[in-house]
Amino acid sequence: MSHANIRVLPENVVNKIAAGEVVERPASVLKELMENALDAGASRIEVEIAAGGRKLVAISDNGRGMDRDNALLSIERHATSKILDVDDIEHINTLGFRGEALAAIASVSRFRLTTARQGDVSGTEITLSGGKIQDVREIGGPAGTRLEVRDLFFNVPARRKFLRTQQTELTHIRNTFTFQALAYPTVGMSLTVDGRVMHQLAPGGAQAIRDRVRDLFGEDYLRQLREVAFEGNGVKVRGFAGLPAFSRADRTEQYLFVNGRATGAPLLGYAIRAGYHSLLPRDRHAVMVLFIEVDPGSVDVNVHPTKKEVRFRQPSEVRDGVIAALQGAFAMTTTPDTMPPGISGAEFAAAPSRGSALPDLQLAIDDLPPSRIFRYPRIPIQTTDGSPPSAMHQPFGPGNAPPRPAGVGPPAPTESESGVRPQAADVPDADAPWSWCRVLGQVGALYVVLEIEDGMVLMDPHAAHERVLYERFMNRFTEGKILSQSLLVPDTVELNPTDADRVRRHTDILRRMGIGIADFGGDSFVIDALPAFLVSVQPKKLLAEIVRELEVGGAGRARGKLNESALIQASCKAAVKSRDALTLDEIEQLVIDLAGTRMPYTCPHGRPTLIYMSFHELNKKFGREH
Amino acid sequence: MKIEIPKSALLEALQAVQNVVSIRTTLPILSNVLIQAEKGRICLTTTDLDVSIQCRVDAKVLKGGATTLPARRLSSIVRELPSADIEIEVDDKDTAQVHCGSSFYKIMGLSEEEFPPISKAEGKFCYTLDQGAFREMLRKTAYAASTDETRFVLNGVFLSFKDNKLVMVATDGRRLALVEHEVEFPAEAEVDLILPSKVAAELVHTLGDNGELRIFTKDNRVMFEFGEVVISSKLIEGTYPNYRQVIPAQCEERVAVERETLLSALKRVSLVTTEKATAAHLTFGKNQLVVSMTAPDVGEARETIPIKYTGKELHVAFNPEYMIDPLKNLNNDEIYVELTDDLSPGVIKCDIPFLYVLMPMRVS
Repeated sequence: MSHANIRVLPENVVNKIAAGEVVERPASVLKELMENALDAGASRIEVEIAAGGRKLVAISDNGRGMDRDNALLSIERHATSKILDVDDIEHINTLGFRGEALAAIASVSRFRLTTARQGDVSGTEITLSGGKIQDVREIGGPAGTRLEVRDLFFNVPARRKFLRTQQTELTHIRNTFTFQALAYPTVGMSLTVDGRVMHQLAPGGAQAIRDRVRDLFGEDYLRQLREVAFEGNGVKVRGFAGLPAFSRADRTEQYLFVNGRATGAPLLGYAIRAGYHSLLPRDRHAVMVLFIEVDPGSVDVNVHPTKKEVRFRQPSEVRDGVIAALQGAFAMTTTPDTMPPGISGAEFAAAPSRGSALPDLQLAIDDLPPSRIFRYPRIPIQTTDGSPPSAMHQPFGPGNAPPRPAGVGPPAPTESESGVRPQAADVPDADAPWSWCRVLGQVGALYVVLEIEDGMVLMDPHAAHERVLYERFMNRFTEGKILSQSLLVPDTVELNPTDADRVRRHTDILRRMGIGIADFGGDSFVIDALPAFLVSVQPKKLLAEIVRELEVGGAGRARGKLNESALIQASCKAAVKSRDALTLDEIEQLVIDLAGTRMPYTCPHGRPTLIYMSFHELNKKFGREH
Repeated sequence: MKIEIPKSALLEALQAVQNVVSIRTTLPILSNVLIQAEKGRICLTTTDLDVSIQCRVDAKVLKGGATTLPARRLSSIVRELPSADIEIEVDDKDTAQVHCGSSFYKIMGLSEEEFPPISKAEGKFCYTLDQGAFREMLRKTAYAASTDETRFVLNGVFLSFKDNKLVMVATDGRRLALVEHEVEFPAEAEVDLILPSKVAAELVHTLGDNGELRIFTKDNRVMFEFGEVVISSKLIEGTYPNYRQVIPAQCEERVAVERETLLSALKRVSLVTTEKATAAHLTFGKNQLVVSMTAPDVGEARETIPIKYTGKELHVAFNPEYMIDPLKNLNNDEIYVELTDDLSPGVIKCDIPFLYVLMPMRVS
């Protein structure tokens, strides 16, 4: 009954198939249209969006414009002004060239093209619906081109169903706009969404990129970036790279451009990671706006239909260029303007030399003794039966420890014993990490070295603090007794649209966590109370960390099921990070608190808090035992 | 340089200046005390580059000159010496020979030229206050300053000389303490300063009960001159937030409470927990105030205080630390607590120009 004859598809079907490749969602329409406008030499581009781009994506430029014949030709498949023959593909300088964009977009929307050339008496207006020309007429109007794409996918219900919520589509649109705005800082651009002006970007002057970054992301953001510049081996790298402390949980804020084209390449990801070598933990990603320029002949942009990835002919030169550029930017990791003014000259001078291997994680114990580190009395963190710790394995036994000088150092042992740990008895003996310990010192400006009854322990105080906070917070949360401390002055935090949307969806959980958060319109939120556990945390930082958690967690889990524990973890992380100096007393309290937790050996994210080495192991290493 | 000085005088001066000497410093000269001898007096100076303290003391100067010696070491030695006259002689290699009775010490110092320059107590205007009054003002506010280093403008006490008044404010974003005092100065001398908490603490420690205190400010530094001591410090740069906006314009209920009674009730109920993040619940009923606290693993505490109160029943929760802080630093017998409801800020006032705003805690 079926006659599966092979035949050439009609033009409109071909266009619809092409549309499937090129036009994925409203944002891809915007991308194609903006690229066309830029290729037409526009110095001013205005973008209008309605209903997340489903109702309308319109773009007006003041570029060259087209005459009637060219205008008609432009909506034919594979009609392009940008290449003439196959050789030109090797030397692409323009953004679009495949010549299928307009035809493809027109085939799945109600489409209107209005264009006029500079000096022409009249312009042309072409109206299409589902790829069929409805009307062609002469009209008057300014030089340039205006394209209106209405009711995208109105004739392709299957694709329409795949469009996400308006908010999501809008996020993609804003992302596309941001990329183009960064790629062309000298072009004036505006973005209007549902009648509200979101961005009004002036054409840049001498400091175009800097100004554009500031206009898009704000002054605070810019302050967290360092300028990057490198040239050599036919590779030019410039732009801005974020300070290690300003990192993100993913790469969404890495804006990379190769020869002005927003793109990515596995190679670049690798180069960035290498450029930040040891400055960033594994799971963090730097924020950056990076322009890489190479000879157009040495980069293949025609790998991917939407040009999302490129391939380099000389990958190692590009990689080395990016690495060199980033390393150049961070060679002086502590520039004076990143230091709060409160820090004294002496501390500042000392900072770079201290643990430069871990600049992002520096932590100073203020009052470590200068040289003699064996002065401190033991901290009995656990006395289940009141018996004193056995002295048999102690190379520096309690008798040898001289009394600590008056007025310096930790609380006397009796204080800890009597008051600080009322719940000590609850902890089963088997779980007890050790029965006493003392702080010996600190290595790498971070790790705390502890001596315990049968060996040595290295503690990561950040991870330990996170564990302590997390368990306390979680306990209270499950009991439903979260205390929240109101703030004298509420803090307003502005997020980017994607993040704002995520936060909006989770305000209920956040409120139950004790964060007094309210939508302030636009993408702003007001925070007027914080969980009492997180007294020192800054609302902005807290929200940023939570957003990252939502971003990472939201993808994998079913909507609405994002669990509170992940958010609480994120909050604790933010709280810990805000402290980068601890006193010896605080470290000791931390050890005591950690011993009281259910799972003292890892932080809530699963990283270890403690690394233990027994005297037995040490003796073996020193050849005293076998 | 050669001087002769009674042990007690030298020890007292050393103790006045040694607080800013850092134990852990990268610049060895900062561990030293600068000693300058001239015309019957010696002047001791220490600094950590941000803060410097200078103290003058009478001494028999046999030969003028200057040197620097390790401050804490010198102070420890002097403390243990017999009570007699101490003779210190320094050679041109800055090695000091200390004679006292039958004791002899040789201490190696560093050249005075290495010591960072110290700014003089001078400025266009001088603000004169009573030492004790200024110390009291600091005591009533400084505890409320923030210790969060990321909000550095709040890491100090705000001093505003305006309208012939000194207003002193400190806040950490959860509570705010404010105190005012009349001071005479010309209108053109109006100025706002943010004094680092460290210096505030040092002043509370060193200022006397009475006597004149003169304050100068110049080039983002501030100098405090009192008795024989001059403390000079960098100021915190930045704009202090508009603290007036957090002071509630009105309240619904105003209750007089005996300060000591409330303070000790709060201290007692706080004993049921060691956790820092905790809430003391205050319930104002007919002629009584109930202060209570619950700790999940321990139990609960409740204290009842008689008050004169006939207003609506009010329940509010505060961090007990935030209430204890002002109560223990005030001297008045009676304080006034002003409240509106459980979500609005509470205010503590008393008969002096003092005001304390604190935000309640909520249980979600």
